[in-house]
Amino acid sequence: MPVPVPVGVLRLPRGPDGCSRGFSPASPRFQALLGGDAAAQGVRAALRQRYLRGLAAARGRPTRFCLRAGVRVDAVFGAADVEAVAFQVDALRTPLGVQAAALLRCTDVLAYSFLLD
Amino acid sequence: MAMRQTPLTCSGHTRPVVDLAFSGVTPYGYFLISACKDGKPMLRQGDTGDWIGTFLGHKGAVWGATLNTDATKAATAAADFTAKVWDAVSGDELITLAHKHIVKSVDFTQDSNYLLTGGQDKLLRIYDLSKPEAEPDVVSGHTSGIKKALWSSDDKQILSADDKTVRLWDRSTMTEVKALNVAMSVSSMEYVPEGQILVITYGKTIAFHSAETLEQIKSFEAPATINSASLHPAKECLVAGGEDFKLYKYDYNTGEELESYKGHFGPIHCVRFSPDGELYASGSEDGTLRLWQTTVGKTYGLWKCVVPEEENAEAAKARTTLPGTAEEEIEDLASENSDSVYSSTPEVKA
Repeated sequence: MPVPVPVGVLRLPRGPDGCSRGFSPASPRFQALLGGDAAAQGVRAALRQRYLRGLAAARGRPTRFCLRAGVRVDAVFGAADVEAVAFQVDALRTPLGVQAAALLRCTDVLAYSFLLD
Repeated sequence: MAMRQTPLTCSGHTRPVVDLAFSGVTPYGYFLISACKDGKPMLRQGDTGDWIGTFLGHKGAVWGATLNTDATKAATAAADFTAKVWDAVSGDELITLAHKHIVKSVDFTQDSNYLLTGGQDKLLRIYDLSKPEAEPDVVSGHTSGIKKALWSSDDKQILSADDKTVRLWDRSTMTEVKALNVAMSVSSMEYVPEGQILVITYGKTIAFHSAETLEQIKSFEAPATINSASLHPAKECLVAGGEDFKLYKYDYNTGEELESYKGHFGPIHCVRFSPDGELYASGSEDGTLRLWQTTVGKTYGLWKCVVPEEENAEAAKARTTLPGTAEEEIEDLASENSDSVYSSTPEVKA
């Protein structure tokens, strides 16, 4: 009785790449269904990069924050979290005194400005 | 020529795979989603098993997963008391639907506009996906946790299964049309639109009922407790898997067991045919999915029947490990043996 021969296989199924969640924008399906707006995507990427560089430039500099209800405070810019939910600042000058370190809610911040060298 | 089934193992999950679903056939092929207790459902290319992406966001075991027909949206049901709707092209989470208990089952209508959910709170919920903030329509009546909820009859009816009953509901009146009492705990349910057939498994039984009347058409008994079964689109055969780690294939018309395959290292929780019927996928406690050919030896997906160029019969006979041989060699082998080359396959170890 001849031994049954196993069906040949070209390769094994590819598994997760271990470093990303997948859904590659390079896939034909992604390109066809979602990738049409390449120009807008490029503009968004450039604006995002400019924003991040702006945050980096602000670090350590005296910054004026315009908050809601006409409130203005001065502080030394520290850091922002990844989703810009909060800004960490040092030496926040408030009517009640100077806070050594504080968090400002970004939803409360209308504008902020600092001097470049 | 006797060919042996070569299952394709899809790894990546780290906990048991408890549910899986195929999309319809799209211009980019068809797709497969798997629900896993590790909370990270995965999308794969349906005919190859290649991983496409992982839906990240759930904070508990994912008990149910489904794709819409064109595989642009996915929905998942989880132990974190939410059902989520995802963009299946980008992998982004689109909507989170909060529930009051573990959600077990999700199903899209054919137009993808509504999502049906069911779970441990014993309520069926219908969400309008164009207004996800709005309160869903709620259908009550089940007396134990809902295990599976499916749209039927062109989305005009709903089929739902809890521990001991299967119920049919009218969507417009939101009332129960019929109920079926099942002898043992229902382990799975599949709805086949063409022919309006409902496939239910409980204990060792695989039963087929009319989706309109819930009357039983036929049933088969398996050698072991069955957790899931699926009917081939052409209704020629069905596959089932369960607690003995094996997959069984039956002739739908005669009930004859055609094949059985070992391969998984744990109980099989779910099994489904692809939309073209060329393969079926199984998900197991061992954390893997396996793809199996319906017609063993056929060239399809990653399976390739290799036919070598002319060589002498001796050399061909000596090579017992390589797949495929030419026609003449099959006849040579057959004539040398008094037994038939390919008798009815007994239990084949995959």
